[in-house]
Amino acid sequence: MTEQRTVQFRVFRYKQGRERPWYDTFDVTVTPRTTVLEALQFIRRVHDPSLMLRHSCHHASCGTCGMRINGQERLACITRVHDIAGERVTVEPLANLPIIGDLVVDMKAFYAKFTPMAMPLIRHSEFLPEAEPPEGVDTYTRLENCIECGLCVSVCPVAASDPLYLGPAALAAAWRVVQEPRGQNVPEILAQVDTAHGCWRCHIAMECSAVCPSHVDPGAAIMALRGTLIRQHLPWRRKQQGGDAHEPR
Amino acid sequence: MKGAFHVLVIGGGATGAALAHDLTLRGLRVTLVERWEVTAGTTGRHHGLLHSGARYVLTDPDSARECIEENWILRRIAPDAFELNDGLFVALTDEDVTYLDPFLEGCARCGIPTRVLSREHTLRLEPNLNPTLKLAVQVPDGTMDAMRLPLRFLATAQHHGAEIRPFTEVVDIHFQGRTVAGARVRDHRTEREYTIAADVVINATGPWAGQIAQMAGVDVPIRPSPGVLVAVEGRLCNMVINRLHPAGDGDIIVPQRRLSIVGTSSWVVEDPDDLDVPEAHVRMMIDLGALLIPTLREMPVRAAWAAARPLVGPRTAHSGRELSRTFKCFDHADEGVEGLVTIIGGKASTARAMAEVTTDIVCAKLGITAPCRTREVVLLPHTAYYAG
Amino acid sequence: MNRGELVPRRRWPAWFDVRGRHVSGWAFILNRLTGLGLVLYLIIHLWVLRLLTQGEARWNAFIALAKTPPFLVLDTILFFGIIYHALNGIRLTLVGLGIGVSAHKRMFWVLMGIGLVLFVLSTWGLWTMTK
Ligand SMILES: Cc1cc2nc3c(=O)[nH]c(=O)nc-3n(C[C@H](O)[C@H](O)[C@H](O)COP(=O)(O)OP(=O)(O)OC[C@H]3O[C@@H](n4cnc5c(N)ncnc54)[C@H](O)[C@@H]3O)c2cc1C
Ligand code: HEM
Ligand code: SF4
Ligand code: SF4
Ligand code: FES
Repeated sequence: MTEQRTVQFRVFRYKQGRERPWYDTFDVTVTPRTTVLEALQFIRRVHDPSLMLRHSCHHASCGTCGMRINGQERLACITRVHDIAGERVTVEPLANLPIIGDLVVDMKAFYAKFTPMAMPLIRHSEFLPEAEPPEGVDTYTRLENCIECGLCVSVCPVAASDPLYLGPAALAAAWRVVQEPRGQNVPEILAQVDTAHGCWRCHIAMECSAVCPSHVDPGAAIMALRGTLIRQHLPWRRKQQGGDAHEPR
Repeated sequence: MKGAFHVLVIGGGATGAALAHDLTLRGLRVTLVERWEVTAGTTGRHHGLLHSGARYVLTDPDSARECIEENWILRRIAPDAFELNDGLFVALTDEDVTYLDPFLEGCARCGIPTRVLSREHTLRLEPNLNPTLKLAVQVPDGTMDAMRLPLRFLATAQHHGAEIRPFTEVVDIHFQGRTVAGARVRDHRTEREYTIAADVVINATGPWAGQIAQMAGVDVPIRPSPGVLVAVEGRLCNMVINRLHPAGDGDIIVPQRRLSIVGTSSWVVEDPDDLDVPEAHVRMMIDLGALLIPTLREMPVRAAWAAARPLVGPRTAHSGRELSRTFKCFDHADEGVEGLVTIIGGKASTARAMAEVTTDIVCAKLGITAPCRTREVVLLPHTAYYAG
Repeated sequence: MNRGELVPRRRWPAWFDVRGRHVSGWAFILNRLTGLGLVLYLIIHLWVLRLLTQGEARWNAFIALAKTPPFLVLDTILFFGIIYHALNGIRLTLVGLGIGVSAHKRMFWVLMGIGLVLFVLSTWGLWTMTK
């Protein structure tokens, strides 16, 4: 291939039982097409099979390959090495989640907050609104935008200082349920986010929306949740609805 | 579950995941090891098509029948996992139209429901399709998330006691005499090597099955057959779009989230780890995809990647298209090596059936009579795999 | 291949990790720093006001000191802090109430434009009027 060049990859390493993490540096020859994920696969195959990283779909759909590339949260599978400035690429695991090893973080805490929002994976499709669905299909559906990559949690300064913070992904999921309940218990979801560690904790840094690779815009979702809750908490609304509007049944 | 037989599954792809589920439901103690993250092999990278089987009716009716049967089962056991928008087989040329009758007959024989749609009707369903199309046939295809369906099998297996160990690579097969008694593994998290003892070892390593077989001194007829997929920005269709012709390159467009994914090509390699994405294939995907949906050409490419099919076939095969898409289970006792079973081939859509057949063989070896229940047991949501 | 370069221990709080941040992230960090700075200023300010209880001479002496260039530089920084924090605070209040969420970046730059004008005017006033 044309336009090959050699790039230094400085890879964050950590293994359980070791005292401190370290960096290993590898030279990788890349073409204009090579992604960071491909470069890391090359390192794993040729230099060090013990290199741990997560990947699955290779097209920004599964959300496993999130990492910090030169400090910036990105999906390795759609980040071209050529698009990164500089001759050296530093890759590190996502922040604000515990590290299992090398570039792999433990997603347990992420899913522990995400799962209670009970966002169904399948939503109504808003694409091609003029299209009529075929016989036998009530309405066109599609997979939800959020790919559960955790980039937003890694970049969020509040998640960095408050481990109990529900975090942008879970709050965005809650807002999706409010928008399109699909049989979920909306009042219960709202009650879960209406807490000091829920949507009120956010400091509106909007970093989550800037890094989200999948058009979720969690920052806006959090503000929308606040709006909904403020409206519910207005004294005249409360009286009208007989008590706190979202008290769990 | 003390005293129960212990089965070691090697490989955390769709096949291994479905196996772990079936084995635990039959009361076995299960450990699954995967050298990378689960689904990081072929599974996570597949096209995302929940097959109706229609793609195979002309060339591979056995595979087609498997697909449609599993399609109905998966809809039941994995509710809310699929975009159930159906699929279209679109005839673009007069030559394509000549396939209509054999296609409809084939579908009828395999039990795949069809509905023939006029050009105008088709364009009302999918306005971005090439307006010069002749007609289309509606079939029950669907879209899945290639990772999240297997995660549901894993989550359910884990819930029933299976132990899933990612980042744990099998480096050797552990023998007692001529009998396979487990595997030597390396845990990349702790850099430690240890042996997992097991009554039966199942090799579910897809395109890598040859490597595990080699460790055990047996041979499996596996042909790793990669294909290129290209995802473009923008959701250009809601249904799965196929070309009505004998299965070929670049003739399926699967919509997923905000992307449209066009594929695929097919060749054969020795080492499934070393897959490049030939530039020519990427261009070919776009060119062929644009025959079906012309605007595809204008959309920015989000990603292009390759994955290796674990096809069953002789060493002589070289394009992969001539190989059957059905699966095959090998009990290596037939070659004098007890305790090792290999399962290869198939599709992600038929992983449950592959697991059923394999588990039947394993249970027969161990004298277990528990019937298969995976047709009925509804799977946990994918999030339960990580949330625990 | 080069192995074993230890990852340095982090010397700043995690919310202050500025690598790869966007405008809104910087805005947050700066808002927090200016907010803390304002608290610090308020404490100093109250402590200085205590001089008022200690007679005219001491107060006048302080005012003379406060008109020297080093203090004016500190005042300039204070102006920046007040103006930035207040204007950004208006944006945060609005966005936090769900107003103009999608325009938050534009709002930031518009307010910063206003802030720059205020800052230049007030600094100019500060340095000329204290002459
Ligand atoms: C381009 C393409 C498109 C496809 N599209 C579709 C589609 O749309 N729909 C569909 O249903 N099917 C599709 N398929 C087929 C489907 O992807 C595969 O049949 C299926 O994913 C195979 O799953 P598997 O579990 O057998 O193999 P894999 O997913 O490859 O799993 C094997 C696992 O074993 C692991 N492993 C290997 N060696 C070791 C070791 N030494 N120790 C531990 N673990 C090891 C690997 O890391 C890997 O994760 C497609 C395939 C390709 C190539
Ligand atoms: C002009 C009026 C002011 C406005 C409109 C304003 C607005 C705000 C807002 C909206 C926040 C919340 C920011 C967030 O959520 O991250 C905030 C935070 C804060 N403000 Fe102000 N403020 C003003 C004046 C002051 C003053 C005079 C002080 C100091 C005495 C101050 C100290 C702080 C501090 C310490 C914080 C917390 C910062 C953080 O946690 O990040 N503010 N301000
Ligand atoms: S907007 Fe809120 S949730 Fe998003 S990064 Fe900022 S603080 Fe975190
Ligand atoms: S909201 Fe966006 S960044 Fe956060 S997990 Fe979902 S897809 Fe990733
Ligand atoms: S590998 Fe799936 S998002 Fe990157």
